[in-house]
Amino acid sequence: MHIVIANGDSDAAYIIDMFNTKENRLTVINGNEAVAQTLMERKHIAVTIGDPWHNTILEAARVYDADIFISLCKKDTDNFASCLIAKRNFHVKKCICAVSNPSNVELYKKLGLDVVLSSTYLLAKSIKNESNAESLIKSLSLDNEKIVMIEATLLPKYWICDQAIKDMGFPKTASIAYVVRDYNFIIPNGDLILRPRDTIVVACAKENEVEILRFLKRQKTTVEAAPAPAPEEPKEEERPAKKKDSSAKTTKKKTK
Amino acid sequence: MANKNKTIVIGVGRLGSGIANRAAAKGQDVIVVDPNPKAFYGLDDTFSGFKVNADSTDMFALEEHCDIKTAGQVVIVTGDDNVNLFLAYVCSLVYAVPRVTVRFDDPDKGALVEGLPNVKAIYPFDLTLVKYNELEQDERK
Repeated sequence: MHIVIANGDSDAAYIIDMFNTKENRLTVINGNEAVAQTLMERKHIAVTIGDPWHNTILEAARVYDADIFISLCKKDTDNFASCLIAKRNFHVKKCICAVSNPSNVELYKKLGLDVVLSSTYLLAKSIKNESNAESLIKSLSLDNEKIVMIEATLLPKYWICDQAIKDMGFPKTASIAYVVRDYNFIIPNGDLILRPRDTIVVACAKENEVEILRFLKRQKTTVEAAPAPAPEEPKEEERPAKKKDSSAKTTKKKTK
Repeated sequence: MANKNKTIVIGVGRLGSGIANRAAAKGQDVIVVDPNPKAFYGLDDTFSGFKVNADSTDMFALEEHCDIKTAGQVVIVTGDDNVNLFLAYVCSLVYAVPRVTVRFDDPDKGALVEGLPNVKAIYPFDLTLVKYNELEQDERK
């Protein structure tokens, strides 16, 4: 893989260490002569000296058709320009743009950049995930935030507990990838009955995340939740009764 | 709704203040934006527009202080080509400004705004070269 690392200081050095393997070809560009000199001495790697937002510098560094271009300039607009030139003039397959202002993440994506990263933005997102629903539901974005993996540990109060997957009306926009029960992985089919304390991992598209989270967090009504406070296995006889209750409710709503 | 009579000039150097002074004299509603308050000294004493002292890459300033969504024209002439490039994209793709003029010192940057709706680029380098050639031809005559 051909990886271009443009500007940066200690962050560039760290990324060089991470990707400097036989499988990768690294191209390093740095506008700061002192930093470029340090990188050359410490990492034993060739560095093109110059600002990465100039055509001439990218030409000299031969970044044509590189697989990844990582821009680590201090100013967000410099990163924007560097990535845009790499993408449009040098046909780089994927540009990763680092930004210091977290509110620029969504904006830069809207303007056409592939991947926009902000340490503050990522930190805020993980804090939000950790604090979400008593830390029992976490989500991880993949493929440039197009796909979301949701990991949820089921509480007895959740509506989907003690129900077979085929009966719970699981949204068609998502799929349960696997279930962890007592440290065992289960690849689920429709007959699997979800239990309290099961951890389920659901894959869905980003735009359906809110709908899925709402579905997972949906709680049993007070009448249903009352008899099942203990996380013990529900008895077989109880299940049909619950189904009857829920069906009775839906019919009531319809009559209203 | 865009107001045809409203012009925002981002970057108030020699060129920016000249454009702003001329537009204000024509009776347009002019807003000038610059992070350096001393830059406004270049405006005429009779300049009747609004002066916004803010970082032009700050979307809050553009939306709240300039109400950029209603601008009929934006002229981007800061001293930083990368800022100008970014603002041209924002004005065209985010705020759909009907007329955007952007100045680039580096003519290579022009290719990056080709195809952007309503954006036209000007290059002092090219303009100077054209003028120089004209002068040379005049002298030959």
